[in-house]
Amino acid sequence: MSYLGIVVGTAFASNALLSYGFGSVPGNKAEGGGAFASAIALACVNALASAFLWGVHNIFLGPLGLGSLDIVFFSLLAVPLLKFLSRAAAEGESQGLLARVGAEADDLVVGSLVFGIALLVSRGAYSLPEALVASLVSGLGYWLATVLLGALRSRLELSDLPAPFKGSPAMLISAGLMALAFMGLDAAFVKSLAG
Amino acid sequence: MSEGRDGFVPNPVLAGLVGVCPLIAVSRSLAEGVIYGLGAAFCAIALGAVIPPLKGIVADRLQAPISLALSTALALAYALCAGLYSPTLAASLWIYLPLLAVSGLSLGALRRCSSRERYGPDGKSRLGGICVESIMFLVTAAFIGALRETVGLGSLTLPTPGLRPTRIEFIGIAPLSFLLTPSGGFILLGFLVAAYKIIVRAGGRKAS
Repeated sequence: MSYLGIVVGTAFASNALLSYGFGSVPGNKAEGGGAFASAIALACVNALASAFLWGVHNIFLGPLGLGSLDIVFFSLLAVPLLKFLSRAAAEGESQGLLARVGAEADDLVVGSLVFGIALLVSRGAYSLPEALVASLVSGLGYWLATVLLGALRSRLELSDLPAPFKGSPAMLISAGLMALAFMGLDAAFVKSLAG
Repeated sequence: MSEGRDGFVPNPVLAGLVGVCPLIAVSRSLAEGVIYGLGAAFCAIALGAVIPPLKGIVADRLQAPISLALSTALALAYALCAGLYSPTLAASLWIYLPLLAVSGLSLGALRRCSSRERYGPDGKSRLGGICVESIMFLVTAAFIGALRETVGLGSLTLPTPGLRPTRIEFIGIAPLSFLLTPSGGFILLGFLVAAYKIIVRAGGRKAS
């Protein structure tokens, strides 16, 4: 698939939150002024994690037939390294964007989102540049979905819903409908569009 | 998630939305729900049993990475066992089996083990609390899988060993196959959470 196909496919049809359910509960976190920092953090952490796991899986363990052990190496080596990098970024600059990105990245490292995208990308039939693009865009696709759901949540809070549907039920149903819309951009459509 | 004064433990999935990602994505049948729920319960309970004794042996700064590596190893061991028990079901659960290492239940168990407070207002053990939540998670995962499959496909797949799990067909057509997609999973879970709120409030308790 072309790079355009990878970008559209991973951002919409295979959205990390709405197709795979990775990450936290949809719309749980209100997106405020730190939205830009969280987008950069998501893209950077996912790209670094996926590149590491791709290397471990395809270069070191895959040829030995031990590819399924990649996640153990990932949690032993990559997670502490990513934690160290994000903390260094957070502490390096007291108020700047880098510090906010570092703080966001520190929270992200141990979670199903980073692990899930890294596993998907490393075990998919991607080359390293394709894996990097796919993981970057997956992070941004996740951020897009959370921002959209955050905006929906703030409107739902003002609407007159039946009491049992207020809060998480309304958000889950909204996420389901949004997932349905994202599914519209499926692989076949993207393939015909992007070749 | 913690136990109330009257001993009522809220459902971790329906009240706390713990570990809902795989339930939405891959718990599309009773068998998948049971295999995934068992894995999540196994990892959480094993972590709850193993991490506290490790605290006395391992240096403080190494505890977090070792706990995570242990969680990953447990998830991987379970994935191998699931693959031996039923290669078909293990394949359908795909990367979600290794992801058991960072499921909401496992991370909750790790957090609980690393906190200094004892679990529960009446001083019950952490492991007891983890066991109760894990069993509730397993039952809920099985229920969601069974509901999606019954309403969606009109059949029920049992978690039997071997290459072809036993499948009981109720009707020849798939009445609402949309429920098997992630979007159907989100919507069904939304309705289940609302139903749970109604039932819990009718019992005079707080839903979360």
